[in-house]
Amino acid sequence: MTGASAASAGILSIAGCVGEEEEDPDDPDDPDDPDDPDDPDDPDDPVDELDEITITLSQFPDTIDPLDHITGDYFDIYDHIYEPLFDFEPGEGIFPRVAEEWEAQGDGTTHVYLRDDVVFHNGDPLTAGDVAWTINRTVDPEKGVPSPIGTFGLGSIEGAEAVDDTTVAINYGAAPGLAEFEFGNYARAINRDWAIEQHDAENEAISGADAENFNGTGPYEVVEFESGVEVVVEAFDDYWGPDPPFERITFNADGESSGRAAAIETGEADVTINILPEDVATINQAPDAEVRNVTSFRTVFCPMKNTVPPFDSQEFRQAMNYAVDNEEIVSTILSGFGEPRGQPVSPGINGFNPDIEPYEQDIGMAESLVEESGYGDVEIELYAPSGRYLNDAEIGETVADQIDQLDNVNCEANIVEFGVVSDANQAGVDPDEFEDTWEIPFYMIGWGVITGDTDYGVQGFFTIPDNPNRTFDDEELSDAILESQQIQDPDDRREQLEYVNELAHEKAPFVYLHTQESIYGVNEQIQWEPREDETIYTWEMDT
Amino acid sequence: MSLGKFLVRRILQGVFVIWGVVTILFGLRAVSPGDPANLMLAEGATQDLVEQVRREEGLDEPIYVQYFDYLQGLVVGDFGYSWQSNREVEAMVIERIPATVELAVAATIVAIVIAIPLGVISATRRNQPSDYGATLFSLLGISTPNFWLGLMLILVFGVWFGIPYPTFGTSAIGILGVTIPYPSSIWYGMIEFPTGRRGPSFADAALAIVSSGSLSEMGTWLKHITLPALTLGTYFTALITRLTRSGMVDELGKPYVTATEAKGLPLVLIRYKHVLRNTMIPIITVLGLQMGTLLGGAVITETVFNWPGLGLRLIDAIDMRDWPLMQGIVVFIALAFVTINILVDAVYASLDPQVSEE
Repeated sequence: MTGASAASAGILSIAGCVGEEEEDPDDPDDPDDPDDPDDPDDPDDPVDELDEITITLSQFPDTIDPLDHITGDYFDIYDHIYEPLFDFEPGEGIFPRVAEEWEAQGDGTTHVYLRDDVVFHNGDPLTAGDVAWTINRTVDPEKGVPSPIGTFGLGSIEGAEAVDDTTVAINYGAAPGLAEFEFGNYARAINRDWAIEQHDAENEAISGADAENFNGTGPYEVVEFESGVEVVVEAFDDYWGPDPPFERITFNADGESSGRAAAIETGEADVTINILPEDVATINQAPDAEVRNVTSFRTVFCPMKNTVPPFDSQEFRQAMNYAVDNEEIVSTILSGFGEPRGQPVSPGINGFNPDIEPYEQDIGMAESLVEESGYGDVEIELYAPSGRYLNDAEIGETVADQIDQLDNVNCEANIVEFGVVSDANQAGVDPDEFEDTWEIPFYMIGWGVITGDTDYGVQGFFTIPDNPNRTFDDEELSDAILESQQIQDPDDRREQLEYVNELAHEKAPFVYLHTQESIYGVNEQIQWEPREDETIYTWEMDT
Repeated sequence: MSLGKFLVRRILQGVFVIWGVVTILFGLRAVSPGDPANLMLAEGATQDLVEQVRREEGLDEPIYVQYFDYLQGLVVGDFGYSWQSNREVEAMVIERIPATVELAVAATIVAIVIAIPLGVISATRRNQPSDYGATLFSLLGISTPNFWLGLMLILVFGVWFGIPYPTFGTSAIGILGVTIPYPSSIWYGMIEFPTGRRGPSFADAALAIVSSGSLSEMGTWLKHITLPALTLGTYFTALITRLTRSGMVDELGKPYVTATEAKGLPLVLIRYKHVLRNTMIPIITVLGLQMGTLLGGAVITETVFNWPGLGLRLIDAIDMRDWPLMQGIVVFIALAFVTINILVDAVYASLDPQVSEE
């Protein structure tokens, strides 16, 4: 016996003694009581009704302002507290929730009619003024927190005002269809008076380390909050809607994929996200857990900034696409958990073009296109993140290797932290204008089109006016997107977006890779199908 | 040199070290890639917003102005605000200290409880199998990386023993209508540990015993801290084992041992009272000095076990490139290091005046 194991045995014997002490049938708080149906730590408990569940994310939000970031893990928690006003169904559209009805007025305004029985967790009633203020705080950079939700999620929304207690007028500068996709996803309500009085929310982000620093209208209210560790929520008694399925939910996070897999295997977590393909078989073998997956709305690709050589040549960009074997990457590195893609968005997104096939690997074609481009024997570098997407570093290295196989191109992979490629993605296309930040023209990134509309997947990358963060400079593609934003008829708009995707395939602003699968570990007792938009709503679960 | 002057000199040296750490960190921040304003806004921010944040945070000032502003803040205990959460850095550091200290103390206790008896046995039974075993353990303990050991402990005690796989058979048998658990299922329950996270704090667990007499919180605390403490304490254990052994071997060869043996004192009394006590001085010094290392070294252990201490917060801050938070934590760790070193020096100097005369 090693010293370590001797020590563990010693400590375990103490734990064992404590355990014996715990088996007091009269102790209602005994966590190891085999008859206790509510013991969340007892994976063998046969009568566990799952009144309480634990959801383990991969990133815990250290910011508590629900408008501050646009990160999926954050929304998974905050949507339970600051509920969305609408029910968005991926690929289906938006449906009533807190907003009962809405009606386009034909003048760049839509009136949204709210329920009149909704209250915040502190007891204040929800008013149209709260909703209008929250939307204005999101889209107005001078008011509250500079919010990426305002620039991306509510990009076409110009502002909102209360018409009466339950009617909000939302103003926008695009077609009603696009505006509807945006506010259908991103409209939420913060209690205006509470936020201003408690948090000076017109000048600062909401922050704090106590449960009282949360106040939404969602089905759950925060009862415990340990900053950076966990948020514990309980069903809100005065919630206007149906009772949620669990009385209590603990949200925590584990940045290590092995930790998340171990948590679901041992029953310490009931739902966990971002399971790696290599852990799938192990989790499926665990007695009470299984893997569930869905092809997400997140597409992974490698933008090529066309303001610098060799990426200013369409032939060269197409050659990069022909050099890469998407099928091989999906089948080997992702163990099949993905779908090769040849356009910026995935099936189910409004405007996805079903006629576009992914580029198929053709080394000969790639080499001759490189020669046509005039950039033979060029050396390029691909920057790829590590730990952000499924097996991203391995994928980045493989893509670089496959390009490097061309006789007339040398390509090296450079694996970096995600922030580096995120910066590159925001640095725009003009090396002169952004000389401080502009240094990486070819990198790998993923984009989740969570509004369910192609516009969200393309406008930030390709439109030119008022968009210094674009990654591609092409008038034709930009104009096609801008035109789609003004088309009133939904069918005509969808056709235009399909055309946008066709153009984006042909002009090859990206090396298209794949749409990744979202892989979850789930307690078998929970009935739930994961969503394409990566959202976790526990009110869609059942036991 | 008097003890007072010696301490003043040590404190000044400590201040210089802290200033160096702060300056190096600030330099790293200045040369690291990425625009802080971009980082604060995450994906999707427009250039206008980035400029606005840059102005508001003073990031458009020359770097030396930002440096002196930061130093000025540190002097009055203002570590700035976290870019990510908009909270005061000092509050975010302070709230994580108890978890890290708890882990470091538990690791130290693990080390003392295992290492000293092991070192004594090893020294008194030189060149016997138990000595070879202890030496092998020391070698393994020093060579095994924390992250690997942690993952293995999770796999074995958290996952394998936590899950009664069907291949192990059912967990209970029925005899005449009475369900009797297999011994194996009792065994599983005893050696099953959480794969990560912290349970109740030690203070809460102790309070539960005092207020209600309930031991369950203490049991949960113990289960949560066992694997991280073993992981963090293994290197330390190996180190102390070797130190105890060599110290004991030196002492056992000294004439006073022979003299006490000649007087007929019992062997156990000689070894554990006289010899071990003389060996303890350098061990206590190393224990003190290593506490600082433990605080810093907890980063890996806390990451593996998702233990919400300073180390995990540091990793989160690095992931999000939250520089004020990152700086705050590293400066705190440096402060702890320097303070512990000064305290150890002070104790040492008071025990051995030659030290302060160097």
